[in-house]
Amino acid sequence: METSFSILLTAGVCAPFLCAALMALFWPCLGEKSARSLSVAFSGISLASALVLWGAYMANYMVNIGFAFVTSEFISGAGIPPMGLNGVSMPMFAMAAIVGFAAVLWAAKSDIKNPRLYFLLLMVMQGGLMGAFASTNLLWMYMFHEFALVPTFIAMSIWGGAGKRMAAMQMAVYLTLGALVSLVGIIAIYVLTGAASFGLQDIVLAMASVPISAFWQYCVFALLLFGLGTLVSLFPFHTWAPRTYSAAPTSFAMLHAGVLKKFGLYVLIQVAVPLLPAGCADWSYVMAVLALFNVVYIGLVTMAQRDLKMMVSYSSVAHMGLCFLGIASMSVLGVGGAVLLMFGHGLSVALLFMLSNAIVNRTGEWNMFKMGGLYKQTPVLAGFFIAATLASLGLPGFANFWGEFSILMSLWSFSPAICAVAATGIIISAIYGLRAVANIFMGEEPTKELEPKFSGICDLTALEKIPAVILLAALLFVGFYPKSITQPLDSDLSIVPAYNQSK
Amino acid sequence: MISFELSLVLFVPLFCAAFTVLFLRTSKWGGAALSVLSAAFSLGMVLSVMFAPDSGAIFKSSHELFRLGDFGLDFGYLFDGLTKNMLFVVCFVGFLIHVFSVGYMDDDPSKGRFFAGMSFFMFSMTGIVLSSNLIMMFVFWELVGFSSYALIAHYSSTAAAREASKKAFIVNRVGDFGFLLGIIFCWTTLGTTNFVEMAQIFQTDPARASTAMGLLVTCGFIGKSAQFPLQVWLGDAMAGPTPVSALIHAATMVAAGVFMMVRLSTIGFLTPCVLEFVTVICALMAFFAGLWALGQSDIKKILAYSTLAHLGLMGVGIGLGYELAMYHLTTHAFFKATLFLVAGSIIHACHHEQNIFKMGGIFKRMPVTSAVALVATLSIIAIPYFSGYYSKESILMAAFGKSAGGELVDSVVFWLVMGAAFLTPIYMGRLFFNVFLGKPNSEKAEHARESSVWMTLPLVVLAVYSLAGAWSFAYDIVWFDGKMDGLIPAAATTFVGDTVKATISKLEAVPHMHTLEMVALIMTLIGILLSYAVYGGTRGYDVVERKFPPLYRALERHGWFDDVYNYYVKKVQQRFATFLATFVDLFLIELLWVRGLGIVCSVTGMGIRKLHDCSANSQIKWMVAGVLLLMVLIFA
Repeated sequence: METSFSILLTAGVCAPFLCAALMALFWPCLGEKSARSLSVAFSGISLASALVLWGAYMANYMVNIGFAFVTSEFISGAGIPPMGLNGVSMPMFAMAAIVGFAAVLWAAKSDIKNPRLYFLLLMVMQGGLMGAFASTNLLWMYMFHEFALVPTFIAMSIWGGAGKRMAAMQMAVYLTLGALVSLVGIIAIYVLTGAASFGLQDIVLAMASVPISAFWQYCVFALLLFGLGTLVSLFPFHTWAPRTYSAAPTSFAMLHAGVLKKFGLYVLIQVAVPLLPAGCADWSYVMAVLALFNVVYIGLVTMAQRDLKMMVSYSSVAHMGLCFLGIASMSVLGVGGAVLLMFGHGLSVALLFMLSNAIVNRTGEWNMFKMGGLYKQTPVLAGFFIAATLASLGLPGFANFWGEFSILMSLWSFSPAICAVAATGIIISAIYGLRAVANIFMGEEPTKELEPKFSGICDLTALEKIPAVILLAALLFVGFYPKSITQPLDSDLSIVPAYNQSK
Repeated sequence: MISFELSLVLFVPLFCAAFTVLFLRTSKWGGAALSVLSAAFSLGMVLSVMFAPDSGAIFKSSHELFRLGDFGLDFGYLFDGLTKNMLFVVCFVGFLIHVFSVGYMDDDPSKGRFFAGMSFFMFSMTGIVLSSNLIMMFVFWELVGFSSYALIAHYSSTAAAREASKKAFIVNRVGDFGFLLGIIFCWTTLGTTNFVEMAQIFQTDPARASTAMGLLVTCGFIGKSAQFPLQVWLGDAMAGPTPVSALIHAATMVAAGVFMMVRLSTIGFLTPCVLEFVTVICALMAFFAGLWALGQSDIKKILAYSTLAHLGLMGVGIGLGYELAMYHLTTHAFFKATLFLVAGSIIHACHHEQNIFKMGGIFKRMPVTSAVALVATLSIIAIPYFSGYYSKESILMAAFGKSAGGELVDSVVFWLVMGAAFLTPIYMGRLFFNVFLGKPNSEKAEHARESSVWMTLPLVVLAVYSLAGAWSFAYDIVWFDGKMDGLIPAAATTFVGDTVKATISKLEAVPHMHTLEMVALIMTLIGILLSYAVYGGTRGYDVVERKFPPLYRALERHGWFDDVYNYYVKKVQQRFATFLATFVDLFLIELLWVRGLGIVCSVTGMGIRKLHDCSANSQIKWMVAGVLLLMVLIFA
């Protein structure tokens, strides 16, 4: 049984890569349509395997200690170290599959120049993401992450929107630097522990005999915090994010903002804090204060945005602050909340990017203040957009609520003042979210910019509804049944000493 | 077994809402039928549970929903006397308003959305009532906020609905910010938010209830029940359809704040300081909202300010003895729902005319609606034997009883409550005389006709409760072997009925209490006469507005709260946000810091490149410099 699940895991990671390889091999005789359907099919395989694994994990979370579904020697024989999932990586893996599938579906119905290359890059990106969350080996985590990162640069410079050159350059510099700094941190961990390999278990083993001194923990954690922080757009290293997301093609923006950005947080939770608890404790106040800037300062900046995509992008930067706060609390509750919020935010922001794209395509207008009254023409689109907005502002019933709530709960014992400041985020996000809804969909007749084409604007088509329904269903499922994530998460996090120091 | 039945009461409306959204969105009557049926089902279920033999017992159940580390959250029901009282109000009034909506919304193109919203509201409201802990209550609390948002935005193409829905949600979120912190504080210090467990903790050690915690939680009450200083959203919320105003913004949701405070009072969560604070702000609200109601000409807004005033009275009740608050909540739900539905019936008949000075002569044209309106008006201005009299009178008596202690604050509260009681007949008289008496003042009112049975039947039933609803609490009436206490199931009357009689008899021992009752009655009559003298005669305009414009403007601005908040939002907050977005984020961080770093890098690069030109000259220079540097290092 165990082996069949690990085959499924391998299939989930390899399917997108396989698809990319197939497309590259049969490039000349590959039609546009077959590129679309191949990608949909293979990312569907990823999705199916991820969902089955999620179900299986939920069913026997008690049995799984450490990583489950670990892949066999056969693959390690080929030079690839074993892969596996635990309570932290399982939701991330599932989210990557869900968002990836939705992104591919969305791309499959949109009109793209040179679709073969687009889908090839998209598949490589999805494969990289699935691999990054399934790896149990630090170096491979990092490599898969790069696999996912590089296609974004290329896609942006080919299909990007306004200001793509500047945005692509800025993003490339930022993210490569951030990744490099964190790579130094990862190598430092490996060298300091003298572990047999970069495998997480090997490092934990080695660390049990040779603990890292407090000074080195302090230094290495700083490298990881700021390196990974750059990837997650921690204040003040955030300026790449809004420009990138608003310039990137939609499917890539969905995958990047939804999934790839969570990688930095994921490594912090999975690797950095458990291995370097003393380092994290030293830096936790710095991290918390920077994260508060994300919540409040970026929140206010979001309020001032007029461009719809910029608003969504800034809001996604603002929400990352809460995840950092959860990690800074160094408790099962806070870190678990961060994982929940990463899951929920990944889905909701992907949905928001997708729907913003739908709105912008229909109206030809970026400025929210020039829209208005769209509800009359597009009730279904409006319904989805409102649902996504409510999810991102943390309404109960959606996954995000549990994340935000647990993080705030954990923060009071960290510091009531920080908790209070962080909680202003629930007001700020309501202000910009509902303002956007009001400006776009409600109000009287359309503005004069929108008037000529207003009557021609049509609602979401059936094909467009499918990815939106998938994302929303996942959000609601976890919102109503949070145990699907928290049960395995709780049992895995409570055996990590770093998260169980009572204060 | 009860657990299953309560789950049905809770979840059937949710499924109906979901089903309507998914499949009946464009159906003409499907959503309406489903929604009314689900409301009827809920009411039937609640009644059957209350008539069950063991309905007197307190029932609780729970099921773990969420666990992370040391935090566990149970989804559970607490089914005691307080729950039963509130649940009856919510399901009974809710059902009647559902029926009314069928008639009221008959010409609305998006009935599916409306009824799905109503069903979703019923789900979230029953959730608040049944919750066994503060966190689940907060979850449903947010959900009623959402249903209120969605239903206010029903006429989404009007600017009023667009602004009002947003405002309602955001202002409520400001209150919830404090509420959430209070819950977190509570959980961190007590280790639980379960009402039963907290009651045990406070019983053994009342000192563990802290004032800070109570004040934070009170923020939630202030937001939801629209008290100082967050009352601004309720008046605007009248942009929603009238049944929504009746159900959500008068009878049930806004009273959820009061319900929560009563729940917390029963377990000893709220310290005397908190209660004092609540009493004072609510007394202020009761008085000023009454004044502000005189500055409105929209029939729904007048009723909205009257709701604010009465929520204020309930708030005073919380401080004086929580059963009084619950008492007034119950009677208020009956007569205020009636008044709103009357307003709805008239608005529907007058083709969405809402200005009372453009109505008039409705009594002749809509006799049933008008008779109902008369009953409800007499009830709200506290004429003896009408429901409103009993609950309002007992709050007045309690305030007087407390002020006999001699504290200045208590006397101020008492006089504010007296003022509020005096203002009610004035603004209600102003409404009644202008709308129902005299002759029509507009084309639309001229052609008003009595509404359909869908609307009049719920009105008549509610009118009966507006008259006689309080008798179940005030007198010992036994119907159906004690299953019904008059018009209300016996199980739903125990919470108030058992204590209120004792409280009243204790209060009657206070000196001058009978004088107070007489004075209050005379004051009410003077109020009616004064109102008739000033506003009677359906002139088609407001006398005060013509004769004393500054006074009227002052009333109309309702305390300039909106002006201050708008100034803050537009001139302070938005400007600050724009400053951050442009100057700090774009200029300082992006341009100076990031690009600046880039420029420094490229300038340095250019400088270094200068050194590496390949002429022999410069290479010799560098060699000599290097040798010199080495010699210095070696010999120094």
